[in-house]
Amino acid sequence: MLSRVAESLYWLSRNVERAETLARVIDVAFNRTIDRNAAGRERAQRMWKRVLELAGLFDVPDIDGPSAAQEAFSLGSFDADNRSSLISCVRIARSNALGVRAELTTEVWESINSMYLFVEAQSPAAIAREGPSGFLRRIRDAGVAFGGIVDATITHGDEWNFLQIGRYIERATMTVRILQTHDVADDSAAEWQRLLEMCCASEPFARAQRHSSEPSEAIAFLLLHDSFPRSVRFCVGEVDRSLHRLSETLPGTYSNECERVTGRLHAMLDFTQLQEIIDEGALKYASRIADRLSSIGAAIETTYFPRVPVA
Amino acid sequence: MATMQPLLERYARVDFFDEFADEVGAPRAHYAGLAQTLRSIDWSDFQHRVELVNSVLLQRGVTFTVYADARGTERILPFDLIPRIVPADEWSLIRRGIAQRVRALNAFLADVYHEQRILKAGVIPWELVFSSRFYNREMIGVRLHKDIYIHISGVDLIRGRDGTYYVLEDNLRTPSGISYVLENRDILKRSFPQLFAHYQPRPVDDYPIRLRRALLASAPPGLSEPTIVVLTPGIYNSAYFEHALLARRMGAELVEGPDLLVRDNVVYMKTTKGLQRVDVIYRRVDDDFLDPLYFKSDSSLGVAGLMDAYRAGNVSIANAVGTGVADDKAVYPHVPAMIRFYLGEEPVLPNVPTFDCNDPAQMQHVLGRLDELVVKNTNQSGGYGMLMGPFATVEERGKFAEAIRANPREFIAQPIVPLSCHPTIIGDSLAPRHIDLRPFVLYGDDIDVPPAALTRVALSDGSLVVNSSQGGGSKDTWVLEE
Repeated sequence: MLSRVAESLYWLSRNVERAETLARVIDVAFNRTIDRNAAGRERAQRMWKRVLELAGLFDVPDIDGPSAAQEAFSLGSFDADNRSSLISCVRIARSNALGVRAELTTEVWESINSMYLFVEAQSPAAIAREGPSGFLRRIRDAGVAFGGIVDATITHGDEWNFLQIGRYIERATMTVRILQTHDVADDSAAEWQRLLEMCCASEPFARAQRHSSEPSEAIAFLLLHDSFPRSVRFCVGEVDRSLHRLSETLPGTYSNECERVTGRLHAMLDFTQLQEIIDEGALKYASRIADRLSSIGAAIETTYFPRVPVA
Repeated sequence: MATMQPLLERYARVDFFDEFADEVGAPRAHYAGLAQTLRSIDWSDFQHRVELVNSVLLQRGVTFTVYADARGTERILPFDLIPRIVPADEWSLIRRGIAQRVRALNAFLADVYHEQRILKAGVIPWELVFSSRFYNREMIGVRLHKDIYIHISGVDLIRGRDGTYYVLEDNLRTPSGISYVLENRDILKRSFPQLFAHYQPRPVDDYPIRLRRALLASAPPGLSEPTIVVLTPGIYNSAYFEHALLARRMGAELVEGPDLLVRDNVVYMKTTKGLQRVDVIYRRVDDDFLDPLYFKSDSSLGVAGLMDAYRAGNVSIANAVGTGVADDKAVYPHVPAMIRFYLGEEPVLPNVPTFDCNDPAQMQHVLGRLDELVVKNTNQSGGYGMLMGPFATVEERGKFAEAIRANPREFIAQPIVPLSCHPTIIGDSLAPRHIDLRPFVLYGDDIDVPPAALTRVALSDGSLVVNSSQGGGSKDTWVLEE
């Protein structure tokens, strides 16, 4: 397949995944700032700051109270100049889809196109009246539906593998970045609940950890769980599998740089124990993982869609 | 533009305590912010939100089943968007009052199933306890972990004409309603964030975690990782949605009777990996149905042998078997005496004056005033088996008089308490409707009163019956920070 097509597929699914996660993150942040008590105001401000950083917004003024939260929502969702805002993600995804329309099934194309049309039809003013929850819910549903339609209608060959790689590298990255929004000054159950909810992990975590709700268990769940579909380990495993399907290299071996760095990170996550993360410091560990993930992204680009083609 | 302004101006009712407005019709201090918000919101916007909220409730499956309806129809509990606000000082009184009450009621249960000191002291008559349909002889002499019987309770409070909070009822068996508290808040935040403009009520969403903590604390001692299950009668139960919600949020397995079995006095659940031991059962099944070997033999909702496992101390059941004797309506008038007897304290929250028909003089008094009193059957709850004297027909009153004479032990009577009113959306206007309040009490290692209470509202004009089975609705309840 063409490198250009592979690259478009990769960025298409990365951006759909990012839009979906951003929608959830903003929804949880919004929902959690409405009925917090006054003592939590500074914490709420810190949380908004970090959440907006996920949407590529730095140096925003303090977010205080519901009307300011509304403002934060508009910034994170509709700022077209910011390539990490929700609307930008959807636009980038759709423009990538446009370039590979021939490779996508009709169902997949219509799925992304209707997500795009939905977002374009919204106005921040109308959403301000309704409250953002309904809008964000639609984005989340559209993102998840996109993944399901991809799985159910595209042959699980090379095209699908690039879509998989994009989806899971983005998902792993977002899980780590959400963990990095953790307010170290706040070890309350509510703060951990927030992180879990932002990763869609609150109920699965409760089921997996029936006995304790220790913060460290939540870290382990989000980083190391072997079958929760948003844990970093699970996502890196999926990237690893798809890379090996592409090159038909045996699992546990590698034929190129991205397989090597992915395999190494996967092995590390497979065999890391919670205590090691605690010893190193969760945030420090998370930032190490974040670096590894971005080097995987870079290696995928140089391996499969180099700017200057290798002879 | 139709605003809320004229609606607020018109809103008034003088014969009852009004939560929202004071004697001259001005918003009370803790409602001033809400009044301001309501004035700024377009009325048509409100109508639109009502539709939105109803569709969300249906989509989420926040429904209950009405038994009287032959088809077992699933209905959504009407949710009124105007929140009820409880200021911090009132909440602190409520919290102390219901914690005190639950402590005394728990002591009473431990006592009537063991030493029976309160009976020997003559504070509560023997026959009252032993004639209770809910006094469970299988529980006599059974030692429970930490002597805790009432792990979860809901205490119904109402406010009289002067705003005094009264306890109307203690619900110590399987009180329901907490799921509405959780969903109401979540849905109101999502669908109408503007309403919260001047308020940051205390969050309610940690209730399931607090419940789990209380249940873990009740587990038989010596287990490092106790397994909790929620035992439901199944999908046709009126509160099934609540059972599922609590199980999901706690991460516990939701089980039905046939999913469990007892072997050598140990309770197991049947899983794909074989039998797994169960240590704590949060049951939403009544005593009568828990174990066909001991109670109703045709019950398929329970587990054969469960009582043996329970009495052997191998499993905890929350609430304990036999708690119904403490919330028997005929025992209710004696709760203030229990508080004095066990705790040596004066009750923080008063009872509603109550006539006990078992006392011949009081029965005569009740029979003579049937047209002004509320008569309640002590064996029923949820607004079933009740006579609202002033609103009843001569025929209905006659039937009750007959029943009371035949079975005086089964009836109590109370003067009609003029429940407080709260602005409520009725059609296209705002009208005063009667409300009550059900805060919940958890009793694990110690008593825990989460700031999560259910406000029920009687939606028909003048009605004083707030039960969901009788056409009641609910409101989000904002407990303010201290």
